Amino acid sequence: MLLSSIWQYVLAGVVVGAIYALVAAGFVLIYQVTGIINFAQGEFTMIGAMTAASLAAAGMPLPLAALLAVLAAAVVGALCYLLAIRPAAKATGVTLIFITLGLDVAIRGAGLFVWGTNPLSLNAFSSGTAITIFGGVLPPQAPWVLATDLVVFAGLYLFFRHTYAGTAVRAAVANPPIASTFGIPLRAFAFWSFVVAAAIGGLGGVVIAPIQSPTFDMGLNLGLAGFVAAVLGGLDSLPGALLGGFVLGIVENVAGGLLSTGWEEGIGFLILVIVLVLRPQGLLGRAARRA
Amino acid sequence: MTAGAPASTATLAVRGVTMRFGGVVAVDDVAFTARGGEVLGVMGPNGAGKTTLFNVISGVQRPTAGSVELDGTVLTGMSVDRVAGHGVTRTFQTPVMFWGLTVRESVAVALAARETGRVYPPPPVHGLVPSGLGLPGRRARDEALREQADALLAAAGIAHMGDRVTESLAFGEERLLEMTRALAMGPRVLLLDEPLSGLNPDEIADVIRAVRAARADGIAVLLVEHAVGELLGVADRVVVLDHGRTIAQGDPKAIAADPVVIDAYLGDELE
Repeated sequence: MLLSSIWQYVLAGVVVGAIYALVAAGFVLIYQVTGIINFAQGEFTMIGAMTAASLAAAGMPLPLAALLAVLAAAVVGALCYLLAIRPAAKATGVTLIFITLGLDVAIRGAGLFVWGTNPLSLNAFSSGTAITIFGGVLPPQAPWVLATDLVVFAGLYLFFRHTYAGTAVRAAVANPPIASTFGIPLRAFAFWSFVVAAAIGGLGGVVIAPIQSPTFDMGLNLGLAGFVAAVLGGLDSLPGALLGGFVLGIVENVAGGLLSTGWEEGIGFLILVIVLVLRPQGLLGRAARRA
Repeated sequence: MTAGAPASTATLAVRGVTMRFGGVVAVDDVAFTARGGEVLGVMGPNGAGKTTLFNVISGVQRPTAGSVELDGTVLTGMSVDRVAGHGVTRTFQTPVMFWGLTVRESVAVALAARETGRVYPPPPVHGLVPSGLGLPGRRARDEALREQADALLAAAGIAHMGDRVTESLAFGEERLLEMTRALAMGPRVLLLDEPLSGLNPDEIADVIRAVRAARADGIAVLLVEHAVGELLGVADRVVVLDHGRTIAQGDPKAIAADPVVIDAYLGDELE
């Protein structure tokens, strides 16, 4: 029956959307703090997934492999900033975006060099059968994926709303030059935005690895999807990243399921165009304010 | 920063500062000192170089020649945030708000900057643990910050605005918040760029009171202002600039009577 298969597509979309939301959160964090669209964001997810899968395959306990995978992604993020972004701090926005495209290609190439072209695999974090909801089926890994979103977004919310460091970051986002006259070091925040965005992306890779056999080139599509999700939600809004991720994941899966999987990405971009025409600031973004 | 020096001894020395933009000399060999606990008025017609001078002192622009020192530490050449870290705080002709933050948060950011030695991120364990988790030390510190912020807001007469987001403030309210936020930094030198413009008489009285309080706290206040009457009323000493040059320096009474000043500036106003 059509409805039940649509429901199944929706559930599959929720799981993928949760990962898109994590990648999108990375886009939003870096964009907010530095003004850069970091097109290497998807590669952090690849690093996380590939590192976790290869370490676990080598016999390392899963929690340790996961931790090291997130750390590896964070280190790659830190290196991206220190080696490629910071030296070009005076470059224009477009130049910096092209630098991130270069980083994307470079990290994917490094992934190919380290892991080769074969897909890796990682066992689901908990054994068990698929979860059935109203006749639709979720993979056993799904609760882990959704819990990761919950923890990451709740953590970001608490940080930004309930710590003074978070308040200081918001001040820096609101007005960088003035914030710096308050002793708020913008470059330190820029560095940490790359580290945290990379760690979040890496964590997304770890939790998606059991569902999507990770490959060295998985970051390309995930990065594009995360970008679409971030713009969809409004590039300046973390709740928007969450919403955009789920909307994109669900729409892609439903459309792909009903039409053909070849349509999935096309539909994602179609939704993006429609949203941007109707609501240029994205679903939850703020409209441009007076300068 | 001079170790152990009490704030009241802060002395800002502007030494032969010149600022050229191409062929235009915006500031020409300006020299003066400002001591803690005094209000130094900076007067001059539009284009006299007052704002450029503030930009040089606060590190936004590097002078073509000359230097700025605070208690013997050369500030010239430092980044804006390092100059701020040495205790130099400024306000702007058009108030600049942190949109998205509430009034209390705006003040708290400045307070926290002072408390953490003006270095962010603050020590990780302190700054990164959300107060919602209820860690005793963190919660006490947050409450202390909140209380200090409220006390400063109350002193400025804007305690009722604490929970409003800065986007919702009227112009005069923005000015008062900007002033309060600057004081929250615990500055040793406070640069006020036309803090009275656009204010109604009540608000002007509030700002003047805040300026006097800052002076009483030992802060060196540099006040650029077009409202000559108010400026001469509150300033202990006055520097008059015209076309980037210092044309007079002295106490307000002498300045008001100086024929050079009257000719260059006051005359325009009185005509």
